[in-house]
Amino acid sequence: MDTLVAIDNLTKRYSNTGRPALDGVSLTVQTGEAVAIMGPSGSGKSTLLNLMAGLDRPTSGSVTVDGQRIDSLSETGSAKFRREQVGMIFQFFNLLDDLTVIDNVLLPAQLAGLGRAAAKARAEELLIALRIERHKNAYPGRLSGGERQRVAIARALVNRPRLLLADEPTGALDTATGEEIGQLLLDLNSSGLTLLLVTHNPDLAAKYATRTIELSDGQVFRDSSDSITQVRR
Amino acid sequence: MSAVGGAVRGGLTRKRVQTMVIGLVLLVSTGASVLAVALLVDSHSPFDHAFTAQRGADLVVTSDPAKASSAQLAATRKLTGVTAASGPFATATVETKTNGGPAGPGGGPGGTQDLPPLTLAGRASPGGPVDDVVLQSGHWPKAAGQLVLDLGGGGGELPPFQLGTKFTVQGMPSHPVLTLVGTAVSVTSSAAGWVTPAEAATLASGNQTSGTQMLYRFAHAGNTAAIKADTKTIAAALPAGAIIGTQSWLAADLAETGNISAFVPFLIAFGVIGLVMSALIVANVVSGAVVAGYRRIGILKSIGFTPRQIVVAYTSQAAIPAVIGCLGGIVLGNLLAIPVLHNAEQIYGVGSLQVPVWVDVAVPAVLCAIVGLAAILPALRAGRLSAVQAIAIGRAPKTGRGYAAHRLFGRLALPRPVTIGLAAPFARPARTTMTLVAILLGATAVTFAVGLSSSLNRVVEGLRRTEEVPVTVSLPSSGIGVNVGRISIKHGPGGNSAAGQSPPVKQPSEATAQRTITAALRAQPGTKRYVAQADGSVTVAGLTQQVQLTAFQGNASWTGYALITGHWYTGPGQAVVPTHFLTETGKSVGDTVTLLVGDKQAKVRIVGEVFLTRNSGLYVLTDYQTLVNADATQGFPIDRYNVALKPGVSAADYTSSLQARLGNAFYFVMQNNQASDVIDLMITLIGTLTLLLAIVAGLGVLNTIVLQTRERVHDLGVFKAVGMTPGQTIVMAICWVAGIGIVASVMAVPLGMVVHGYVLPAMAHAVDLGLPASFLNVYKPGELVVLGLAGIVIAVAGALLPASWAAATKTGAALHAE
Repeated sequence: MDTLVAIDNLTKRYSNTGRPALDGVSLTVQTGEAVAIMGPSGSGKSTLLNLMAGLDRPTSGSVTVDGQRIDSLSETGSAKFRREQVGMIFQFFNLLDDLTVIDNVLLPAQLAGLGRAAAKARAEELLIALRIERHKNAYPGRLSGGERQRVAIARALVNRPRLLLADEPTGALDTATGEEIGQLLLDLNSSGLTLLLVTHNPDLAAKYATRTIELSDGQVFRDSSDSITQVRR
Repeated sequence: MSAVGGAVRGGLTRKRVQTMVIGLVLLVSTGASVLAVALLVDSHSPFDHAFTAQRGADLVVTSDPAKASSAQLAATRKLTGVTAASGPFATATVETKTNGGPAGPGGGPGGTQDLPPLTLAGRASPGGPVDDVVLQSGHWPKAAGQLVLDLGGGGGELPPFQLGTKFTVQGMPSHPVLTLVGTAVSVTSSAAGWVTPAEAATLASGNQTSGTQMLYRFAHAGNTAAIKADTKTIAAALPAGAIIGTQSWLAADLAETGNISAFVPFLIAFGVIGLVMSALIVANVVSGAVVAGYRRIGILKSIGFTPRQIVVAYTSQAAIPAVIGCLGGIVLGNLLAIPVLHNAEQIYGVGSLQVPVWVDVAVPAVLCAIVGLAAILPALRAGRLSAVQAIAIGRAPKTGRGYAAHRLFGRLALPRPVTIGLAAPFARPARTTMTLVAILLGATAVTFAVGLSSSLNRVVEGLRRTEEVPVTVSLPSSGIGVNVGRISIKHGPGGNSAAGQSPPVKQPSEATAQRTITAALRAQPGTKRYVAQADGSVTVAGLTQQVQLTAFQGNASWTGYALITGHWYTGPGQAVVPTHFLTETGKSVGDTVTLLVGDKQAKVRIVGEVFLTRNSGLYVLTDYQTLVNADATQGFPIDRYNVALKPGVSAADYTSSLQARLGNAFYFVMQNNQASDVIDLMITLIGTLTLLLAIVAGLGVLNTIVLQTRERVHDLGVFKAVGMTPGQTIVMAICWVAGIGIVASVMAVPLGMVVHGYVLPAMAHAVDLGLPASFLNVYKPGELVVLGLAGIVIAVAGALLPASWAAATKTGAALHAE
């Protein structure tokens, strides 16, 4: 398998005082892996996810995705990287309430400059695949949590990314719906999509991820792939 | 610190941008308003203000030194009715040549040139109980050979000689040389210049035009009758025939008001519009800021703030930056006023104009009151809302609002950031309306200002008529060309004879002069046509003031007087008159009026109403044959020729050439191209105020985008997370207001035109000035297209900065923000 994500000695500080949010983290993710990143609040999970998505810049170290150093990209470069390489889903869906379901899904494609017809065809294909096609003209506010997360997943997939970053994707859902979404993510991973999942939930990680990385105080505490347990400094 | 104090401090520090916007809006608004009001105040009767401040002379009496001694003149100070007097000052009217300076009388290049006679007075100092002369540059004469020239009250008639220019006095064996050491302003133009008393005595010795000047202020001098009575009192106290000339303050007042009155309505119109717009925009920004704080108000209420505490806290949050802005605005307004008022001083011919203290107090007070009101009303509303309601209103637009707009705009074949931006205003109709109003006012001000400038130019052109009459030829007796000497006020209604006397040179007879001029005009290549005119005073039954009459010898319909109603006269017995003449006489176009010319009567039928402000609009234009038929030509010498040129002929070249043909001795060929200081002042002022209003409107837009960015910070995070680039974010944020800008532009152009079309005639009407339709129909189609962009420019300019802030929003933080 190819290495899709390579993180090397990554450190992120939000202030000069206090401990860093991430402290010298190094890891790699292979294409097609389903990786769960776990850890308690404040362990650095979301910071790691933001840095991998190019939403923030590290204080030091590097993030390489599909051979491209994203920590040194300009803001515009980062945006284009997200558009082309990454799909993101969030705990609270982050859908735009004033856009219809299909318009939400279309948005990344339209920002990437895809023609409306082509973008619409792709969006409808995804909505059908995710079984929410009947809601395409509805507004997100009228949908259930599970339906909203499906819309968010459709939006994340519309530009055919290689990497799907999911931040607590079932955190706001009831158990049954969470199961559904977890299964959906598993299916996507099975189809070749690399999945990086941030979660508190050990069950979710165990069920849907092939590898678990545990963070603690900004450092990799445990990585199931090499069975090395790091001792806290 | 109290809870309210803490809330205020927290609000101010947390919302620095908004605090700064309120401060800036008040800074610029106060600056603009101070400037506008100061100009309005100073433009209102500038002559009266200057006359009071400089203790202007009600009457200047020039007496024959051979007949009235200094002691006799000094004794007149104590006459009944005399409240103050200065003098006696020796005077001499001298012929001079300069070694350079500006243009010759023909407008040609500077060089050695003959000048019209100058009446010089010997004064040891510029001050005194009467006629406090204000030095404008250089210093007062301290030694022999030094000269200060009057800049020319009410008209700036004196060419701008450089300090150091030498004036060689003609007609004296020693050919004394006077060096210009300063310029000054006498509000009643008591002399053309001043020298030391000793120098004046030297110049007067052996000079037939010497005299002794006394300057008086009287208890009663408000009208011609009072001045006549005062003159009689002085004359009675002096030996018979001692007085050789008098000059009344009324003459200077008339000259002054004739120049300024045409522009005052325009200035008032713009000042008023500017003030109203400033007030509206300030109210808009402040109330918007308070409404934007509703969520925080809800939180404060939930922790126990009373409605009263809410009102105090939120009014204070607006008031603190507003007061600071106002204080800065006073400084800004005064700084901006310095050059503008300095120009006004020179144009109005008055010594010193300043921003009145009450303006510096009243303007910020009014604006602060507007801020208070604009803050209190929404704060009161917020105070009455429940905490939950306030949080709900403040947090997000009402669910469902603007969704349809998003669907509709989403179908347009435009980039998605553009359509999202264009649809956004529909989610917040109240804020959108306020932003629309701010841009609309700014863009309307621009449209109005452009129209006003064009109208002003038409007014100037209507008064100067340079297109139609680019050149005039005058005889010395006309007063044209010898104004600098102020030796004659024979046409001034306030005077009854010459304040000085004609120079001791032989002039050609009137008939000879006319033959010479007409022969020269016919022989001169480039002459298209010309018409002679005679000027004088007449009286009209029922009017106490004298009416000026200009009679043209031939067809003068081409001379460019702008008609308001009716038509140009077509023959003897017809006349055209200004609006004020009609008002004063109660006549209308079509009526007949009887003119009393000396002991003769001439009946004329009024056939047209023209735009004319000279002599306060008490004027009659008619055919010379009207006077001939009434045998009333006495006192109406033909002494001026209006000349039109063939296409392509240079007025400057023509003027020089004709002056050379006629010689410099008696005839003055003038190119009618003098730049108008008044119009320059007005356009500077209008430009400054428009810019300030546009800035205030732009700040209103900035305020909207800041509010929008804060409110939609989470959405911005989502947009960026799904791949929106900074450039696309800026485009989207600009489009939040670009659509509003387009709508405002579309509305502003007709609105500005309506305001222009309504306000100008109304203001002009208030001062009894009619305006021809051509002065109001000034907007050209191409110009309207450009003006249509004003609102968009204001919107985009105001949005750029906060749009870039929006683009720089940290995505991670934004996604977790509520």
